Amino acid sequence: MTMYLPQMAKIVKIIRENPQIKTFVLEFRDKEYNKSFSYEPGQFMMVSVPHCGEAPISFSSSSTRPGTIELSVRLAGKLTGAMHRLQPGAMVGLRGPYGIPFNMKELADQNLLFVAGGIGLAPLRGVINYCLDKGGYGRITLLYGSRSPDDIAFKTDIDLWRKNGVDCRLSVDTATEGWDGQVGVVTTLLSGLEIERPRSSLVCGPPIMIRFLLPELSRMGFRDREIITTMERHMKCGIGVCGHCHLDNRLVCVDGPVFDLAQLKELAVEELGELT
Amino acid sequence: MKGLILKKDNLVPLLRKIRKGGKLVAPVQNRHGDTLFEVIDDLDRQQLDLEHQAQSSLKPFFFPQNDPLATYNCAEDYSFEPVVSAEPTVYFGLRSCDLTAVLYMDVIFSQNGADTLYFARRKEAILISLGCNQPFAHCFCNNTGSGPFLEYGFDLQFTDLGDSFYVEADRARGEELLERWSYFFTPADEDDRKKQYQAVLEARSNFRRTVHVDPAVKRLAADPDLQPVWRELSDRCQDCGGCAYICPTCTCFTIVDQPLAETHGIRLRQWDSCTFSGFTRMAGGHNPVNHAEQAIRRRFLHKLKIDVEKHGRPSCVGCGRCVDICFGGVDMIRFIAMVNDLKLPAEEK
Ligand SMILES: Cc1cc2nc3c(=O)[nH]c(=O)nc-3n(C[C@H](O)[C@H](O)[C@H](O)COP(=O)(O)OP(=O)(O)OC[C@H]3O[C@@H](n4cnc5c(N)ncnc54)[C@H](O)[C@@H]3O)c2cc1C
Ligand code: SF4
Ligand code: FES
Repeated sequence: MTMYLPQMAKIVKIIRENPQIKTFVLEFRDKEYNKSFSYEPGQFMMVSVPHCGEAPISFSSSSTRPGTIELSVRLAGKLTGAMHRLQPGAMVGLRGPYGIPFNMKELADQNLLFVAGGIGLAPLRGVINYCLDKGGYGRITLLYGSRSPDDIAFKTDIDLWRKNGVDCRLSVDTATEGWDGQVGVVTTLLSGLEIERPRSSLVCGPPIMIRFLLPELSRMGFRDREIITTMERHMKCGIGVCGHCHLDNRLVCVDGPVFDLAQLKELAVEELGELT
Repeated sequence: MKGLILKKDNLVPLLRKIRKGGKLVAPVQNRHGDTLFEVIDDLDRQQLDLEHQAQSSLKPFFFPQNDPLATYNCAEDYSFEPVVSAEPTVYFGLRSCDLTAVLYMDVIFSQNGADTLYFARRKEAILISLGCNQPFAHCFCNNTGSGPFLEYGFDLQFTDLGDSFYVEADRARGEELLERWSYFFTPADEDDRKKQYQAVLEARSNFRRTVHVDPAVKRLAADPDLQPVWRELSDRCQDCGGCAYICPTCTCFTIVDQPLAETHGIRLRQWDSCTFSGFTRMAGGHNPVNHAEQAIRRRFLHKLKIDVEKHGRPSCVGCGRCVDICFGGVDMIRFIAMVNDLKLPAEEK
């Protein structure tokens, strides 16, 4: 059981990122545990909310800023809905960290292209902050697609990143009045973009976005190993036992969620279609 | 260690003694004529059945269908209390396939850290298997390397020699049990050993079916994309989950909270099945697995391909239970036959 026993954590702050997304700043109740807790970019936690079971949520914070962790949650259903109704001071259960993180050592010195759609920016936010805090990474470019200007999340972060030299380019599927930026799916932001080697792209978003993006990146000359993405699957245990997160012969919770295109090409991934 | 002999007349007295010292589980025929593994309370009342194949396996004893992981409290604070329950138990009369299945579960539940609940029960268990002189109608354990008799893995293995059992131990706990109740047993002589050997040989030729497991495994390793097979079997699958529930090696589960009141509840681990359409469904209804065509792909590939890659052998133990349970014929034997009958692309021309 111990492996399924959550650690209790208190919500110390809630940041509303957009109408659907809230960032929960959390602190483990056990002070020692809180102090020694550590994780890596791209990993996730299984989150418990009273009567709602558990759901996997990625870290949107970076371990370079210890003391609290942050989970950004999109309102999607029962558990995420209940979590959105919680107030600061309330407790949630957390177990983890789980999953294979982004290989930050291998990415060192590279120019990094981040591409995010919607809630997909949550995990990448952790990675970007990790890179900025640690230093030792090349130029950072972020392409971020949202449905509408109102849906753009993490605005404070984006402002800060810009100040720190991150090239942030935003697009919206549908513009509203006052939007003078790019309109269209996030792939439209790729045109004219030049990222010099050594380079990698880190992609996070809905399956449909990933499906269209991967071939685009290949066309731009990114090698398979330079295209890194995260796969999402229904998860129950997070530790490779329950079987729910199967992706061909892998289990996303322990063999992922981070995969590069070279790995994905070896697998039959239905939602990505034929990967060539 | 040398074999021992237990006269059949001594079996029930031995089991009575064992039961006094702890829990005893054995196959029992109930009043409906079903043979199921049951906790033995009363050997006079419960009809021990060593003639028929138990319809259930030992899976529910180590990995119950509804297994409380913890209780939770969410009145003012939110907290979890672990639940662990296990008591010394002797399991008697399981067949070689079921024992092999338990050994497989040992592997599954020790991935990424030993599963506390499972191993609490497992550590308290003594497994006494009974080899199959006469395999049952749908058995094919000879083709999956899990019977009809085993060389190792059991605490004790019984072989039926007519009016007595030949008894051998493989693990310390089995030997301890033999020592403890030594007065029920006599040393086996050369003749007994010959008879045992003979029984094992004969059993191998007593199978009513030959299921070509190895060729199917090879075929799947080379080309797991058998669209016509997936489509036909998925079409006939009625989403009942019976095959997964009855299968001694299907261990997929879900975790759910069961509220008991506003303020508290239980977190349960429950059997699940990859053949259920909800198994992979995500928030908003998106499902990365096309259920209509792929529902049963996972089940068969997991058993005959992925586990071969991961653990070196298929995780079907050839018990044949899924043959009995599925009216749609979506069972292992049918699947293997379909795979082997499929023409290779090269042959199609
Ligand atoms: C590795 C990983 C990281 C994730 N990171 C984030 C994140 O940072 N922020 C965020 O908002 N969302 C994230 N998700 C998605 C999030 O887990 C789902 O939105 C959430 O589980 C939905 O639960 P619900 O009860 O609100 O939805 P419901 O639709 O009510 O859920 C119904 C059932 O489906 C299950 N379920 C539904 N979708 C998923 C899913 N995608 N994964 C696992 N189980 C699911 C739930 O457990 C529940 O049992 C992540 C998913 C994965 C796999
Ligand atoms: S797949 Fe069928 S034959 Fe094989 S172990 Fe499971 S129930 Fe028995
Ligand atoms: S979530 Fe249970 S195996 Fe991956």
